[in-house]
Amino acid sequence: MRRLRLFVLAVAALGLAGPAAAATGKEVVDTICAGCHRAGVLGAPRLGKAQDWKERLQQGRKTLYEHALKGFKAMPAKGGNPKLTDAEVRAAVDHMLSLAEADKGGAAGGGEAAAAKEATAAAPAPRAAPKPRVSAVNRFNRLLEKEADCNPPPPEDGIHDPENDGTHLLLPPKEAFTDLPKAPSGNCVDWVKALEDGYINPRYDRLDPNVQPIVMDLNIVREVKGSMPDVVYPHKQHTEWLDCSNCHPAIFVPQKGANQISMAAILLGQKCGACHGKVSFPVKDCRKCHSKKKPMTLQRTQTTQ
Amino acid sequence: MPKPRLRWLAGLAGVLLLVVAAGLPQGVRAEYGDVVINNYSEAAGMRPVIFPHWFHRIRFRCKVCHADLGFKFKAGGNEINMLKIIDGEFCGACHNGEIAWSPENCNLCHSGKPGLKTQIHKSTVQTLVAPVQAGGKK
Repeated sequence: MRRLRLFVLAVAALGLAGPAAAATGKEVVDTICAGCHRAGVLGAPRLGKAQDWKERLQQGRKTLYEHALKGFKAMPAKGGNPKLTDAEVRAAVDHMLSLAEADKGGAAGGGEAAAAKEATAAAPAPRAAPKPRVSAVNRFNRLLEKEADCNPPPPEDGIHDPENDGTHLLLPPKEAFTDLPKAPSGNCVDWVKALEDGYINPRYDRLDPNVQPIVMDLNIVREVKGSMPDVVYPHKQHTEWLDCSNCHPAIFVPQKGANQISMAAILLGQKCGACHGKVSFPVKDCRKCHSKKKPMTLQRTQTTQ
Repeated sequence: MPKPRLRWLAGLAGVLLLVVAAGLPQGVRAEYGDVVINNYSEAAGMRPVIFPHWFHRIRFRCKVCHADLGFKFKAGGNEINMLKIIDGEFCGACHNGEIAWSPENCNLCHSGKPGLKTQIHKSTVQTLVAPVQAGGKK
């Protein structure tokens, strides 16, 4: 029994140790380096662009190995993957240089651009400390969401394919959001405020830009169990965006007390969660909805029981 | 001796989880509300479609698509195909070269990494309930 246990744990640990066989330069480039070097993120020399590499190669291959292994400016050591062996990193550098050599047309010209790039990069940028890995589940806490996590451009967002030409033609969300009021989560845009204050005026009709929405101003108060403040649901902000038929009767029966709603259901994408947590602001800021203080007498009886 | 066995099984489960977690690629930071639709795309040799909710809600209120055009509140729940779009249904109601650009620009919509599942990215369900890895499986 004990031997079996040791064997299974050893196998599991081997799995942690990663692939035993060394990866080729091309494999390393395709899986790791390409993340920045394909698009030229933060001034990284791009794959197969001779002019990006010309100046750098003049420092000698040894320096390039050194920078790749130990990090340089925005380039993290070993491309941010400490599991790579030194030989694998060198092989990756060799592969990138061979790609640049294959680019005959780009070697001539481009000197000005390169010079400008060098000038801006003259001041050594502070080296970023290695980021601790935080699981997505922990990041769900709005207090752990950082400004930097908001609105990455399509080629860097992890779901658009940077190898697709169309990806680079898409409007980066940051550009569209420049003037819009900010919010701590979701798109990091306060859409309700953006609409109310006239930053945006989306059409209510597909063809006619002058059709006005039918707004109903009615707040529904849901008294909730426990010590959380009661929920105030404003019809006004919802009917400015939506049609009654979007929610009634399929998601919410339009009758007081007829709907069973729980946070669990919402987090699983039902009831309010049909939109909140997918498109509309996510349910991270409790007081956005739980906004009505319970009457004092009620609070007191609850504490004495 | 149930207790030690339980403890060791829990330990093994933990190690296995770590192995799985180590294999997941980091850095899916997709824009909140981006819908990946891969009902038929990849089977037909195209990249999955990525629909940017944010881009559209700047220009149209929810009602236009979700009430007038009949889009259900469910990623992949509309069974959209190119024939319907060219006939002016769903996306084709605007993407017809008149209100918005025509569907001849394949790679503007079909721009997702191969292997993505149909789902809403950065959604609460995806983050807390069923985290799905992005990109191709290595």
